[in-house]
Amino acid sequence: MESKVVDENEEGPAVPMRVDRFGFMKQEHSPTEGLARSRSAFEYQRDERRIRKWRKMIGVGGSDWKQYIRRKPHVVKRRVRKGIPDCLRGLVWQLISGSRDLLLLNPGVYEQLVIYETSASELDIIRDISRTFPSHVFFQQRHGPGQRSLYNVLKAYSVFDRDVGYVQGMGFVAGLLLLYMSEEDAFWLLVALLKGAVHTPMEGMYLVGLPLVQQYLFQFDRLVKEHLPKLGEHFAQEMINPSMYASQWFITVFSYSFPFHLALRIWDVFLFEGVKVVFKVGLALLKYCHDDLVKLPFEKLIHALRNFPEDAMNPDILLPMAFSIKVSKHLEELKQEYDQQQLKSPESPVKQ
Amino acid sequence: MARRAEEEYDYLFKVVLIGDSGVGKSNLLSRFTRNEFLLESKSTIGVEFATRTLQVEGRTIKSQIWDTAGQERYRAITSAYYRGALGALLVYDVTKPTTFENVSRWLKELRDHADSNIVIMLIGNKTDLKHLRAVATEDAQSFAEKEGLSFIETSALEATNVEKAFQTILSEIYRIISKKSLSSEEPVTANIKEGKTLVVGAEEPAPKKACCSA
Repeated sequence: MESKVVDENEEGPAVPMRVDRFGFMKQEHSPTEGLARSRSAFEYQRDERRIRKWRKMIGVGGSDWKQYIRRKPHVVKRRVRKGIPDCLRGLVWQLISGSRDLLLLNPGVYEQLVIYETSASELDIIRDISRTFPSHVFFQQRHGPGQRSLYNVLKAYSVFDRDVGYVQGMGFVAGLLLLYMSEEDAFWLLVALLKGAVHTPMEGMYLVGLPLVQQYLFQFDRLVKEHLPKLGEHFAQEMINPSMYASQWFITVFSYSFPFHLALRIWDVFLFEGVKVVFKVGLALLKYCHDDLVKLPFEKLIHALRNFPEDAMNPDILLPMAFSIKVSKHLEELKQEYDQQQLKSPESPVKQ
Repeated sequence: MARRAEEEYDYLFKVVLIGDSGVGKSNLLSRFTRNEFLLESKSTIGVEFATRTLQVEGRTIKSQIWDTAGQERYRAITSAYYRGALGALLVYDVTKPTTFENVSRWLKELRDHADSNIVIMLIGNKTDLKHLRAVATEDAQSFAEKEGLSFIETSALEATNVEKAFQTILSEIYRIISKKSLSSEEPVTANIKEGKTLVVGAEEPAPKKACCSA
C-alpha cells in the first residue's frame, strides 16, 4: 500500500520527498493527512496541557515515575489510554515496559552483543531490512542509519536469545521502537517484551511452531463467536478463520499494516496493559464494521479484513470501543481450554 | 469498488505460492493479479490472498492464490493452507543458490501437508538480474524433470513469463481435473467442489452470478 508502483527501472526519487508527521512518505491521498493537518487551537491547547501533566507525572528523566505509578496507577492507566504525548513517548514506553531497569542492570551488554558476537540469523535479517517500513524516511536509505540500527537491534536480539533468533515480524516491532528511542533502548525494550518484564512474555509468538500465535488465534476465534455471534456464524459459514487476517495483528502488534497514528496509540496501551488490548482492538474493528462484514462473501471478506475503512481506524473512536470490551477473565478460561486441548492432540493446534 | 459484478466462472482452483523468503512470491502474485510490481515491498507476515479469473482451454477459471510467508518458522501457520490446494508454485531466486537448494525441502513440505496429486510448478524468479544469476537454467530444468515438475523462469519485475507460468499450471490442473472426472464418470462440478471446499473454505458454487459487489 505504501509502496510505489514501478513498471520501469528507475532511480530513487530526485524530487524532495513529502512525508507525513511520522516520517512516512505521503501518498497522493494520504488518509492520515487530514487528521494530522486539521488540529484546531483547542486541540493544540489540550495537547499542551497533557504534556505538562505528563512531565509532572514522570519527573526529570523519569525520576518520579515509580512513585507516581505506585500511588495512582488508575490515573496512569487513564492517561495512557488517552495517548502518550508524542514528544514523551519514547521515554514513557521505556518506563512502563520495564526496559529502563533492564538497561541500567546490564551496562555494556548491548555493545558486546552487537560488536563481538555473530548470529546465525544475520543473512535472514539483512534480507528483510529493506523490507521493513520501506516507505519511512528513516529506513529507506540503503545502509543508512535507520537500516543499520534496525540490523544491529535484531542481530543483538538474535544472539541474546538464540532460541528465538530472528523471526519475520520482529523487524516491524523493532523498527517502531527505533523511531522513538536509541538502538540500545530499543533492544532492551524488545527484551522486556519478549522475556516478559511486566506482562506475559511474547517470546512464544516467535519460537519454533509459533505456539503463542496459535493460542492467541484460538482465543480470538472464540472471542469473536461469543462477542459477535452473528459475525462468528458468518465467518464459520464462509470458512474464514483468524489465521487468514489476524496473525499479523498479534505478531507485529498492529505495526505491520495499520495507520501509524493508530499503531502508536495501540502500543501505548499494549505496553502498559499487555496483549489483551490486541484482542480488544481486533474485536472493536470487527464490531465497528460488523454490519458490512456479515454481508460479504469469502473473497470480499478477506479483502475487507485486510483493508478496514478509514473511519474505523480513528483511534479516538476505535480505542474507547475497544476498552469497553471486557476480555481478561475470558482469555484466561480460553487459555486453559486451549492447554487442555493441546494435551490431548498437540499436533493440530489450531483448527483451519 | 466500481467493478462489474462478480464474475462467472466454470472452475475455481486454489493455488499456493511457496518458497524461501525474499524470492519474489508476493511480487509474482501482484504482477499476475494486478499487473503491479512493488519495488518497496514489505516481507509477508502469515498469509496473503488474491484472485484472478482468466480463460484456460476455453474455460473460465478463477484462481484463488494464497501467498505464504517464506521463513521456515512460519510453516507452523502456512502449511495449513496447502491442504486442498490443486496447485503449488514453488519459487526460488535464480541469483541465490540456497533458495534453489531448499526446493527439495519445500517438496517434502508439500508431500507432508498437501494432497498427493497436487500439481507443482518450479519457478526460477528474478531473471532480470542477469549479471547476478547463480542457478543455471539447465540445472533447474533437469531437477524439475527428475522430480516430475513443470518448470519456468520468470521476472516479476519485467513481467516476463509470469502470465505464462500461471496459465500453464492452471491448464495442467484443468487437464487433470477434467480427465479425472471423465474416468470416474462423476460430474465435474462434484470433483471441483470437493477440492474447493477442502481448500479455500468459502466459495460459492460455481458457476454463479453474484448479486452485490461491495
